[in-house]
Amino acid sequence: MILTILLIGLLGAGWFGYGEYNRKPKDLLKAKADLSVTPADLLKEFSTTEKEASTKYIDKIVSVRGQVKAIEKSEQGFLTVVLAETGNMSTIRCSMDGNHLQEITGIEPGRIVDVKGVCTGFNTDELLGSDVLLNRCVIQLQ
Amino acid sequence: MQKLFSIFVLTAIVFSLHAQDKFFTKSGNITFISKGSLETIEANHKAVTCVLDTKTGNLQFSVLMKGFEFEKALMQEHFNENYVESDKFPKAEFKGVVINNAEVNYSKEGTYPVIVKGKLTLHGETKDTETNGLVIIKGGKIQATSSFNILLSDYKIDIPKIVKDNITNSVKIDVNCKLEPLKS
Repeated sequence: MILTILLIGLLGAGWFGYGEYNRKPKDLLKAKADLSVTPADLLKEFSTTEKEASTKYIDKIVSVRGQVKAIEKSEQGFLTVVLAETGNMSTIRCSMDGNHLQEITGIEPGRIVDVKGVCTGFNTDELLGSDVLLNRCVIQLQ
Repeated sequence: MQKLFSIFVLTAIVFSLHAQDKFFTKSGNITFISKGSLETIEANHKAVTCVLDTKTGNLQFSVLMKGFEFEKALMQEHFNENYVESDKFPKAEFKGVVINNAEVNYSKEGTYPVIVKGKLTLHGETKDTETNGLVIIKGGKIQATSSFNILLSDYKIDIPKIVKDNITNSVKIDVNCKLEPLKS
């Protein structure tokens, strides 16, 4: 009896361990955002109180509604949607999830979009302007 | 008044020419690969910032560590929490120079082998590095590529004995960045 329970326990632990080992990063299309924020507020928080903003946003699923400034495609075919406010050098750079690129076809600069992604940080650069970075992003059109 | 205007125009031209010397990207690609005896761990970064000053050969990279994407979530978590401690050390940086910059003709399309020397800062540790790479000039853009190895122990990144066969101390880094002119 005890042996049976032990065996079931071990099998259960093994199954859990295997699942955990092979667990893939969350697909954000169905995930709920931890926080919703405007591009202006997100950039303001990181620019003025970077430490607090880092604790608040980094590693969290953040939803941002903003205007598309540009859509960049890298050599390898990776897409980045850049959200910006007019007059602001700083932007929100959204590195798109490679499994959900079909939703981006047809989007042009000027369009308002809802982007959901994991915040990976704030890249400050005197020469290039500072950006908040999100990755594994998915898009919902407005 | 005329003289002042001429000086202004001349200065503006000089500045605009100078700005054409700098090329950059914010969506550069860096992949690192660890080939252990049990498994190969690979992570990809799609948001590397790179600036190259074609006049001086000055080259800089900036990488937010949390931007590395792994196929397995547990690996990504261990990488950030235990190995590179990205909460403590959020950024990796390279500051260096193309030491044979004079041999690269940036206005002529072609592939130029380069030697890059500089300081790599990772996990709060800074080390001198020297690597070979390629600079490919095409269509007004510059593609910078390099492939080299680093030792995790050089940057005080400890690998527990228990995963010694999964993760190697020597990790391969592949850099591939397409740079565009920086317009001021």
